[in-house]
Formats: sequence, structure tokens, C-alpha cells
Amino acid sequence: MKDWTAEEDPEELPPPSETTVDGITTIITWKLDEHDRKVKVTRRVRRKMQTQNVSHTVAERRRLPKFGDDKGKATGPDRKTTIVGENIHFKVAPVSAKANEAAAEPDAPKLAAGKAVICRLCKGGHFTAKCPFKDSLAAIENVDMDDGGEAPAADGMGGILARGAGAGGKYVPPGQRAGGGAGESMYRNRDDLPTLRITSLSTDAEDEDLRELFAPFGKVARANVVRDRETRESKGFGFVSFESRRDAEKALQKMNGHGYDSLILSVSWSLPREQR
Amino acid sequence: MKPIILQGHERSLTQIVFNAEGDLLFSASKDVGVNVWFTSNGERLGTFNGHNGTVWTVAVDSQSRYLVTGSADNTMRLWDVQTGKCLKVWEFLTAVKRVAWSEDDSMILSITEQRQGQQSMLRIYSINREDPTNQSNTPINEINISTYGPKATVALFAPLSDVIITGHESGKIAKYDVKTGEEIQRTNESHFGEITDIQLSPDGTYFITSSKDKTAKLFDVETLDEMKGYVTETPLNSACIAPLRPYVILGGGQEAMNVTTTGQRAGKFEARFWHKLFEEEVGRVRGHFGPINTLAVHPQGKAYASGAEDGFVRVHWFDESYFRSRPFGDLEPEVEV
Repeated sequence: MKDWTAEEDPEELPPPSETTVDGITTIITWKLDEHDRKVKVTRRVRRKMQTQNVSHTVAERRRLPKFGDDKGKATGPDRKTTIVGENIHFKVAPVSAKANEAAAEPDAPKLAAGKAVICRLCKGGHFTAKCPFKDSLAAIENVDMDDGGEAPAADGMGGILARGAGAGGKYVPPGQRAGGGAGESMYRNRDDLPTLRITSLSTDAEDEDLRELFAPFGKVARANVVRDRETRESKGFGFVSFESRRDAEKALQKMNGHGYDSLILSVSWSLPREQR
Repeated sequence: MKPIILQGHERSLTQIVFNAEGDLLFSASKDVGVNVWFTSNGERLGTFNGHNGTVWTVAVDSQSRYLVTGSADNTMRLWDVQTGKCLKVWEFLTAVKRVAWSEDDSMILSITEQRQGQQSMLRIYSINREDPTNQSNTPINEINISTYGPKATVALFAPLSDVIITGHESGKIAKYDVKTGEEIQRTNESHFGEITDIQLSPDGTYFITSSKDKTAKLFDVETLDEMKGYVTETPLNSACIAPLRPYVILGGGQEAMNVTTTGQRAGKFEARFWHKLFEEEVGRVRGHFGPINTLAVHPQGKAYASGAEDGFVRVHWFDESYFRSRPFGDLEPEVEV
């Protein structure tokens, strides 16, 4: 007969279980919350075995017991001291003087270029024929040349100009600066960045493809394809975040309706979670 | 490239070093702790507790058995890497600013601060590896740097460990004979500001220095000839030479005292990658929220780590694309992977 007292006793938690189906491991653990209620925690993870060949001395060191402040702690990284940061896109390529300028004043509108050479495709300082984005952008440009790609440059820029130095060079706390919200932080909220939502995307497109597709418009902070949690198959849409709003607007104009891998992309602003 | 962020310190980092295999990373900071981390997953192996002040410098021997640290509590300590036990304490009259191991792990050097009427001293100690708790208190040689000019800030043993190369407050670079203690070579116009870091190339034939004068330079170990120079727009705190690929990594940023008045971008807190030969900048890695104080590169060139004024260490394992990169296209030799 089943022991009915066991269910009444909140101290007794069922043992954690782990089952693996189709390479996906379901880990069920139980814990008590602050009101001593039982909480079932289900985590579904895909485990990937990574093998690494190391020398004997390195392998031996991996088995060393912890010491000092970490004495007796379990193996594996402690979340208090170790976190994995956001993916950084690092590409080794010449950093031109022009890029340096842009970095110094990222939001300043480009002033009249005068007689300088301007690429018709990417607006860079070189001849159109030498444009590194010639292949990818030429097609895009032709799609809606008549809309006038320059139009949105002035929008949304009003307050930002005054951002760097306050009036009279006085220090202005980041929170009170025009255009800036709170100060910058190491962990940037993903809603802070101008983000585009790309739908009717080919299911073959990877994060990197998406980044490449949007890179010509400006610095892409994040590009990701939304995938099914279990099958890892693309759901046919994704998000691209730009560092600057202007670049995002440009990309929105140019890429909405652009053909990509036999599908026509639909690009719109990504709305914050609550508005969707 | 996903950085592993290590938050084991409460104050800004002063020096980080990889061990010879690159599986461990040692970090010292302005709080009293010294930490050791597994670089592959960022797990902390342990802490070395005992110092009573800012730990300015840390160095590990090539067998990863002993660690030596120098601190503002006027002591230098020798530690067992595997257990975290303190094996020996040397006491001085001023802070220890830099320590380093000789190539054969038989000697260490220490530079003490010039302060309170004390001269800038470079001392060389012999290390007893068989009985580590039984170390001599008297150095095998003692060099009074102040008699030759401005104080020394950084130093390392040249290959073969018969010569010590020092970087000085004024920008001077000099060589001292380990046996006789004499200055054998000097260049006064190498830099125009304090030299903040000195690191040897993988083959030991040249070294890189970073300076507050916003430049980093490569020098020949034998002749102290300037080979290459990298001019940036911020004071530099650290520089290192990446093995495998022709890059150097520079780190710095605005002075700590000005940080609160500017944003992250204006501070230029990124780690900069420069092409070693063409002297052109080829990439930046951002992420720190304060100036980078110290940089270290994996001895096999697979990763690099940076420690900053913000108290964080970030370990970056390079992507595959880094190893195939040819930023100047056909000007560079084909990369074999």
C-alpha cells in the first residue's frame, strides 16, 4: 500500500530524475520555496560532448581539490564568480581612420561630403566600383532606389547631439542627458538597442548569414535566428540589433521586401515584449 | 567569441598571467586576494590568502608549481600553486611593484618602490626548489636602480637569464647584468612616459613595452633597437604579443580619475589588436567598463585575457575565423590551418 504520510511531509522531496530522449535530457529537480511548498523544476537541455586533448600535467591539475575561499566547493564554475558574457563579434580587419572617427561620434550626422568620393552603394569613402559590398548591396539598392534612401537621417536625432557634453561643458549625469536614458552598463538590455524583426526568412539562414546580410548598413550588435528549442530548426524569423538607430532605419527601408533565398523578406521594428 | 567573465575581485586588477600550458590564469588585484582560474571554463581553483594590501604583481614558474607575488604590504610571498599554501615571506621597507621568474625557474627578481627615503631596488633571489619552505632571506644580488637614474617600474629576465631588462618611470629601458649588477645598456628616448608593462615575445628575441605616452613598441632583446611602434590615442597600461598570428594586443584607456566623467565609448576601454609588422590597427574588443590594466595572452595563442579597473577579468577564446584572418589580403602569406 502506498504510504500516504509521505505526501504530507513537506521535508521529503522526490529524488531528482534525469531522462534522455532523442538527445534531449530532461532534468527534474524538486525544491522548497520560501513558503515551504514543493516546486518542481524541469529543465530540458541538449548535451554536447566536447573532447579536448590535453597534456598529462593539465589533466592532473583539473583534478586538484579547491583551496582558499573555494575550499570544499563542488566542481564546475560557480555562478557567483564566473559568468559567460554575450557573444562578441570580433573580426580581424583593418580599422581605418574613418571608422575611428565614426566611433568617436557615433550619432553625429554625416555632414556634407563636398567633393570627396562617395560610394553610391554603401556611402563609404571610395569609388562605387571598389565597394566591398558591391555584390550584396547592388541588388538591394535597385529595389527601391526611388524612395530616396537619405530621407530618415534627420529623424530621431534631435536630442542626441547634445548628449556628449552638457551645456557649457558642465558635467551632466548620464541619466539627465538629453537623448540618453540611464547610464551605460556592462550588461546592456536587449531592448535598449534598435532591433529589427525579420520574418519570412529562409529556414536555412544561420545567425552569421543574417549578420552578413545586414552588416552593410552599420554595426550589427546582435543577429539571431529564432529556433525551435528542441529540434534547433529555424522558425523562419529572426532579430537584428544595430548599434545606432539610424543604421537600423536605413536597413528597415532597404531590406523590407528584399528577396533573399527565394523568399521576400519582411522587416519591421521589433516591439518590446509587453507591446507585442 | 564569447568572453568568460571572472568576478573574483572587489577592486581593480593589477596583473594577470597565464601559466606555461595556458590552462590556468592567475589574477592579482588591489584587494588583498590572488586568484587562480581554469581558463577553459572559468572555474576558480582557489585563492591565495595572506597579503595585507594591494597585490601589485604576480608571476608563475614554467612548471606551474610555485607562484610569487609582490604587494603593497611590503612583502613578497612564495606560494604552492596546487594547495594555495604560503611557503615563504620576504619583508621589505617599501612596496613590491614587480616580480618575475628566470627562464630555468631557479631565480626570481623583485623591484621595490622608491619611497620614504628608500631607493628603487632590484633584488635577485635564488629559489630552493627541493625544500620550498627553506628559502634564503639574502638576495644573491642587489642592484640600486636609483644610482643609475629614474626608478624602475617593470622588469623581466632576458632569455638565458644572464640579463634583466627593465622599464623605467621616465621611459628609459635598460639592461642589468645578473651576476655583476651593473647596467650594461640603456636607451633613454625609448618612450616619453612611464613604462607600464613589458612582455617577451614567444621566441624570446624581442619584447613589447607599453607606456603612458600612448605608444607601444617592439624592441630587440640583444641590441635594444626599436623595431616597431604602435601609436594609439589613449595612455596604455599593458601590451602583449600574440603567438601564432602576427598581432599585438594593447590595452589602456583614460586615466582612472577621469573615468566617471565620460561614457564607455569616449574612454576607449577596448582591447586593441594591431598588426605586428604593418603597424596598423586590425580590430577592437570591447566589454570592459574601465581602462584595461593588464593583458595576458595564452602561450599557445588560443586565447587572451584582460583585467581592468572595473574589477573584472575577461577571458576570450579566439574563434576559428581569427586563425584564418588575413586583414591585408594578398600582402600576407597564406594561412595554413
